[in-house]
Amino acid sequence: MSEEKIVSRGGIKLPVHVNRRLVRYYWDRLKKNKLSLAGLGFIVFLALLGTFGPFFAADPQHVDFDVKNLPPLGFSTQESIYDIKTSTFTTTVHPGRSDHPLGTDSKGRDMLAMLISGSRISLLVGLLATGIAISLGTFLGVLSAYLGGWADNLLMRFTDVMMTFPFFLLLVLIVFIFGPSLTIIVIVIGLTGWTGAARLIRSEALSLRTRDFITASKALGASDNRIIFNHLIPNVASLIIVMATLSIPGVIMAEAALSFIGMGDPMSTSWGTILNTGQHTLDTAWWVAVEPGIMLFLTVLSFNFFGDGLRDAFDPKATV
Amino acid sequence: MRNYIIKRLIYSIIIAWGILTITFVLLRVGPSSPVDRYILNIAARGQDVDSVKQAIEARYGLNKPITEQYFSYMGNLLQGNWGWSFSASMPVLELIGSHWIYSFQLILLATIFAIILGVGLGMLAAVKQNTKFDYAASIFSFIGISIPGFWLGLMLILVFAVYLGFFKTYYDTNYPIWSLENLKQLILPVMALGIGELAGYVRYTRSAMLDNLHKEFVTTARAKGLPESTVIGKHVLRNAILPLVTIIMFDLGSVVFGGAYLTEIVFGIPGLGQVSFNAIFADDYAVVVAVTLIGTFLVLFINLATDLFYTYLDPRIRYE
Amino acid sequence: MSAKTLLEVKDLKTWFYTRRGIVKAVNGVSFTLDEGECLCLVGESGCGKSVTALSILRLFDSPPGKIVEGKVLYEGLDLTTCPIPQLRNIRGKDIAMVFQNAQSALNPVFTIGDQIEEQINTHRMHHNGTAREKAVALLEEMKIPEAVGALKMYPHQMSGGMKQRAMIAMGLSCDPRILIADEPTTAVDVTIRAQIIYILQELKARRNMSIIFITHDLSLVREIGDRAAVVYAGKVVEIAPVEHILRKPAHPYTIGLISCLPDISTEVKRLPSIPGNTPNPMDIPSGCPFHPRCPSVMDICHTVEPEMLNISGVQTAACHLYDADIMGKR
Repeated sequence: MSEEKIVSRGGIKLPVHVNRRLVRYYWDRLKKNKLSLAGLGFIVFLALLGTFGPFFAADPQHVDFDVKNLPPLGFSTQESIYDIKTSTFTTTVHPGRSDHPLGTDSKGRDMLAMLISGSRISLLVGLLATGIAISLGTFLGVLSAYLGGWADNLLMRFTDVMMTFPFFLLLVLIVFIFGPSLTIIVIVIGLTGWTGAARLIRSEALSLRTRDFITASKALGASDNRIIFNHLIPNVASLIIVMATLSIPGVIMAEAALSFIGMGDPMSTSWGTILNTGQHTLDTAWWVAVEPGIMLFLTVLSFNFFGDGLRDAFDPKATV
Repeated sequence: MRNYIIKRLIYSIIIAWGILTITFVLLRVGPSSPVDRYILNIAARGQDVDSVKQAIEARYGLNKPITEQYFSYMGNLLQGNWGWSFSASMPVLELIGSHWIYSFQLILLATIFAIILGVGLGMLAAVKQNTKFDYAASIFSFIGISIPGFWLGLMLILVFAVYLGFFKTYYDTNYPIWSLENLKQLILPVMALGIGELAGYVRYTRSAMLDNLHKEFVTTARAKGLPESTVIGKHVLRNAILPLVTIIMFDLGSVVFGGAYLTEIVFGIPGLGQVSFNAIFADDYAVVVAVTLIGTFLVLFINLATDLFYTYLDPRIRYE
Repeated sequence: MSAKTLLEVKDLKTWFYTRRGIVKAVNGVSFTLDEGECLCLVGESGCGKSVTALSILRLFDSPPGKIVEGKVLYEGLDLTTCPIPQLRNIRGKDIAMVFQNAQSALNPVFTIGDQIEEQINTHRMHHNGTAREKAVALLEEMKIPEAVGALKMYPHQMSGGMKQRAMIAMGLSCDPRILIADEPTTAVDVTIRAQIIYILQELKARRNMSIIFITHDLSLVREIGDRAAVVYAGKVVEIAPVEHILRKPAHPYTIGLISCLPDISTEVKRLPSIPGNTPNPMDIPSGCPFHPRCPSVMDICHTVEPEMLNISGVQTAACHLYDADIMGKR
């Protein structure tokens, strides 16, 4: 059972949701889901890597053709050179080197440095774009539910239009028109990704609107703003958190896909950008395509596991 | 019923109009226009920029008032004049007409693959709830959902084409569409596009089956002496399929079109995704816009078809 | 008159192994059913009568449910252990079930006709005429107006009473020898209830069909039952012909149930009730499960579970009050 702290105001009991006991309760439920904890662990690791890593790592954009296509440590490549004078093949073995532990790409850029830069970009884009999308969606959803009538109708029809756009094609079209930059990508994903949140929050808010504690605060003369920000939003908070967690992987994948097809920000190195170079050297330097993909996959997987665990932890009906 | 279809058609037309308008606005507010890009080339050749710009603007009606431009833009689209592709030197519709089949075959096969396997595995997982098979299916679907389709495509090429040599690393258009060779070279793309969808369907099917597996009418069906295959495959599935149809159709619209776009690029399949991808780098405006619009109209059409199909599947639903 | 015994349930125990513990829903039920007889299983909700009915055809969810002990003998065949294909031939054909809530027991996405014909076709019972003709005849027998049209209707298009009658028609579609009716009148209103009881009485007389009628309503027992078995905490505590149960009940629980029946001839201020609650099937009291609520409780009731004792030739009850040895020592 959810332990809601009940605060008495003017004889009417109002549930106050943000309190330490409740956080503790949810954390205890979340802890029981090991996959979810592992996901959280990887996300924390990634956040630390993205925040502090670039200060220690080499310059991800530094080109050095002398060390191009170096394999990761523990692997080696063979290069056969045909000597016309002696008519013989000389085979040179290039082992991985400890100054480039994850290898280098076809321009000799350090994979480790690029991956660290990529984790910063992915998390940044994921968090910012999701932040914009969820805030906008929550705002429009609550607004729509609260206003009702023609305003609600208009907002929901607009949501339908936005939902109908094939998301990725729209993304490509807009980045094509406005030019590739991280800011544009974040804004576009943020401004197009709010539809699901708006719909969900609206339906949740509609069902909350008829609940007794909202009626009670109305009877006490609470203003619309107060009801929306003090009552509606805290009550859909768990829903918002879960939705945000589960939308981040989609955003990260979208950014990676954009960069992969060459529409990423040329000024920064993201996992998608590395994949873009890697796809052309599958036969000579497989690791360039493999490594960022693994990072991308693990990140998305972690957010999915974590979000799934959060949803169960917040759902009073689920057994954890 | 007929009234409902008419209502939905009108509604779809309104949404389509909304989308056309948004596209028009985007194209006009974008910081760079194709004219500007063209001008840059002219300027590089040392010609008089202003006179050329005016000539182009006059030719394409860009010097007219914005409302007039809007109406002529809509008029042209309605008359089937979707513009001229500079890079392919043919009308956009003709270009699309010669390439759509490559996208269509990919999407069709991947969807069939994902639905048959996904629904099948999901049913099995639900029937064998909490067994090892169920857990394996659940882990598989988490992985499948989290793996980026375009990266999966690269990895499939790396393993099965580059290292094992089972397939060619590129798509060969010399094979006729209805040939075994063509089917064979579609295996990897279909897997790359289909596995993400499949994984999602496993999850949705499982939970939809579980929602119905313990309903009273299932006990009735067993009490009638029906074999278990009929109980599950007919009585449960027919009810579980209702929410599935919506999800699958929605997926088809948003995820598959985006995924197909990327899959075509990864495997070099000359479908609409590849066409618009090339158009982006050739600054071929009309093609990018046309492909986006076609994708959107398809989604609208699929939404309408879903609703109508639904009335057939669920006798309780009658639209007014 | 001693008719042939069709079904014999012997010390049946169906337990559910849930995460929170073992739910002993059926904990030692025994009774017999004769040809052409209507046996009523009576008891409060949650006493295990529905699970008993489901256990006869092994229709409960398994896992978590499991028959841990006992037999269900249908013409000598033990239904608790026979292979599933054999059981499937009996389900719906020899022994049919009618459920409490036709609204949820009928599949919402198939027409009534489809659902009835499906059963007829499964058991290949359409030797005289097609399955459709048979279905029409059944609906007519159930006094459903315009039976041909009703076959094309979906459950949601029918009224509650029609659904329940369609459900019974489906149960009868393969001319079963035993019909298990699990509270078929609980979800319908009073007028429909009278119709359904009338239909069942008629069927019993015309088809010489045996009926197991499950109810919590003693007034229905009076109308339809030949014998009644009173179920408490997953056990049968008393079995007797209906007149005995109503006129001279033996077990203190039965006595309590009967005294709760409102009597319109006398004016009462407050309806009597049995003090206490039905026991939690996960934690059944030791000894006699009824002892915490029993007005005539003795020391021995706390520890020793009473056996079924013969009271008169046709009446048996599980209560120490009727054990001559124990009562003699006092």
